[in-house]
Amino acid sequence: MSEAVAVNPALRLWSGYLRLVARHPVIGSVVPFLPLIALWAIVVEAGVFPRAFFPGPVDVFHSFVDLTRKGILPAYLADSIVRLAVGAAAGMVAGILLGLLVGLNERAHRALWPVLLFFQAIGDIAWLPLLIIWFGFGLETMTFVIVYTVLFPVVLNTVLGVRSIPLDLHRAAQSLGAPRWRILTEVVLPGALPNIITGLRNGLGYGWRALIAAEMIVGTSGVGFMMFDARRAGSVVEILLGMIILGLLWYAVDALILAPIERATGQRWGMVAR
Amino acid sequence: MSALAQVDAKPSMAWKRLRSALYFVFPLLCLVFIWEFTVRIFSVHPGVFPGVGAVLKAGAESIANGSLFLHIGASLARVLVGTILAVLVGVPLGILMGVSPGVSTILTPLFRFFSVLAGIAWIPIATLWFGYGFGAITFVIFNAVFFVVAYNTLLGVASIPPQLRNAAWSLGANRWDMLKEVLLPGALPNIVTGIRTGLGFAWRGLIAAEMIATNLGLGYMLFLARDFYRTELIVFGMIVIGILWLLIDRLVLAPLERRTIERWGLVR
Amino acid sequence: MKSLTINHLSKTYFDPYAAKHVTAVQDVSLDVPEGEFVAIVGPSGCGKTTILNMIAGFLPASGGDIIVDSRKVSGPGPDRGVVFQSHALFPWKTVLENVAFGPKMRGVGLKEREEIARDYLALAGLSHAAERYPNELSGGMQQRVGVVRALANEPAVLLMDEPFASVDAQTRMTLQEELTRIWQARRPTILFITHDVPEAVFLANRVVVLSKGRVLEEVEIDLPRPRSWDAMMDDERFKTLSARVLQLVRAA
Ligand SMILES: Nc1ncnc2c1ncn2[C@@H]1O[C@H](COP(=O)(O)OP(=O)(O)O)[C@@H](O)[C@H]1O
Ligand SMILES: [Mg+2]
Repeated sequence: MSEAVAVNPALRLWSGYLRLVARHPVIGSVVPFLPLIALWAIVVEAGVFPRAFFPGPVDVFHSFVDLTRKGILPAYLADSIVRLAVGAAAGMVAGILLGLLVGLNERAHRALWPVLLFFQAIGDIAWLPLLIIWFGFGLETMTFVIVYTVLFPVVLNTVLGVRSIPLDLHRAAQSLGAPRWRILTEVVLPGALPNIITGLRNGLGYGWRALIAAEMIVGTSGVGFMMFDARRAGSVVEILLGMIILGLLWYAVDALILAPIERATGQRWGMVAR
Repeated sequence: MSALAQVDAKPSMAWKRLRSALYFVFPLLCLVFIWEFTVRIFSVHPGVFPGVGAVLKAGAESIANGSLFLHIGASLARVLVGTILAVLVGVPLGILMGVSPGVSTILTPLFRFFSVLAGIAWIPIATLWFGYGFGAITFVIFNAVFFVVAYNTLLGVASIPPQLRNAAWSLGANRWDMLKEVLLPGALPNIVTGIRTGLGFAWRGLIAAEMIATNLGLGYMLFLARDFYRTELIVFGMIVIGILWLLIDRLVLAPLERRTIERWGLVR
Repeated sequence: MKSLTINHLSKTYFDPYAAKHVTAVQDVSLDVPEGEFVAIVGPSGCGKTTILNMIAGFLPASGGDIIVDSRKVSGPGPDRGVVFQSHALFPWKTVLENVAFGPKMRGVGLKEREEIARDYLALAGLSHAAERYPNELSGGMQQRVGVVRALANEPAVLLMDEPFASVDAQTRMTLQEELTRIWQARRPTILFITHDVPEAVFLANRVVVLSKGRVLEEVEIDLPRPRSWDAMMDDERFKTLSARVLQLVRAA
């Protein structure tokens, strides 16, 4: 009865993997890509599609090394990141301020809410033709698009956050002697922070897609431009490289910026807003 | 007592709705007024920004010659086909991944990666693979919706409490019943949220793709107008895009989401 | 004088659905002298919260005066500390920061206000929880912190609106005993609101029975202190007083 049943080696391997992933979550998000890459390489080597049309991982890696050595890739990547960072910072500051105003003031809410929803619905990319007429194919156009894209999710979520703070917290602060501006810094801002971060997460997600689109349509540099330039030249390798870099870039933003803030605020306070 | 209160409440509810509709429209009307006022006072050049009249005239023209409906029709057809295909493939795949914890452990990171890439980033390769036109753009839409829907379905299925599945087994459900009665309805709120998010990306992707890769559709209409510096047509197109998305989101997606999530008390 | 007096207080709400005015509080006068513990009891909907919110300054009164510390008040202020049923602790502040919030608003420096907060936490036996966040505490502990936070601001009067209504029965008894102990040690002026008759009789020096927005009757509670539930359970005086108040509330 009590004799140990021999465990299937495959099962043992699997449970080892699960334990490893539990200890180092990073491994869990890397290992699944290995079979995918292997499959990709096999399909390419089997010659199902013409190689120029569907290059393999090795080709993409070569092009990565090549473009990095020439300095093109680092320069383009830096361009994209700087645009995104500047636009996102400006959009976030403006978005939080506007969100506080609309969230706290009933009149501002009535006057601005429908306008905000409408401009959000137009979407950033539809502005491109007009922006090109105004500013040409330059940095202003790109910055406008990103600020516009980041602004709305931040505003809408800030308003949501401000309005979801329980009335009793305002009252508690008041009856403990907090003047109005202290209530803003001690109650409203921290209370809305989890929502603001959600807004920032969405805003960055949209803003970053908008940046790629803008770089494709009006760009003269950046990862989006690189991909579209490669498309004109018929170089699938560089398009794939661009896509992989975009994916990795998002992982980096998520792991290095967003996730740590979320862990330190809403999750710690037990008020996760998702 | 309560019946009386309800009778009392009904007309005031209708009144409330009307009033909230007015509250919504009024600021926008003010905005139109400010716009016209600004254009006149500063005599803004029509090549920079058009007046209200010019935009209305451009709109009337494009309605009269039927081009507006051609563009709208083309854009909506792409969205519809792409979305339906994406849901038809994404939901079953998501459920398949969700029922097995092993499969989902492996596939979740992959889907997160691809849902991050979804949409615009695929435009270059889609146009290479499918050429310019319906195929490439529909692929971009499909792509934007597919990964987000599949990923959300997976999350939805994984979040169904195991007791519910056990309860269904012990009540005599077979595999098909399980799918139909437990998994699909249980994951529905997540599926709907996924469709809403995915369509948000897809709509932007659509406009971008139409600017790049076609000769029909709202995005193309805007971009073509730019070539001739016809700002009144551009602004008209932007307003159409805004209204269309508001209608899709507020009249179709948001009520659908509310219904599935709130009705079952599955607020997350 | 750290006392609370209300004269002919009344409140009328406008109900937009029924399009008519509803009188929630009508001509209520009450006196809570310095160092006194007064409880208001009454059935749900009789206007208890409305009275407390007017005194706290959260709601404007429709008529009458509220006098705290010999001054007429309108609007919230640190002279009236409030303990909420929903504890209303700031989720983004630790227990220590929550308790130090009132002194911080008064401009007390970091070191000094943390000292004050630690003293008060020690009074309630909460020193070990100082660095934790509210969501990491049990319901009973959250409520204790809410009381301590209000006390640490040294208000002239303490207003409590059913603070123990949402904790389990055992914890509630402990909290009630602790509150009487703290009251005896510091003698704050307290106005306590509850629908729970034994709670009111156990805690207060005087119980005011409220009915449909009016004061029905006041009952002096001359039970000896310190009070404990072990002693009260078989106390004849406690039983008769509770029975009497209960009768009044049920007749209300
Ligand atoms: N904001 C309000 N608007 C209209 N009526 C209210 C409002 N708040 C309370 N009331 C009414 O006033 C009465 C007293 O309420 P409340 O003070 O909350 O009672 P209690 O705290 O004793 O349960 C109730 O009939 C309630 O319906
Ligand atoms: Mg109440």
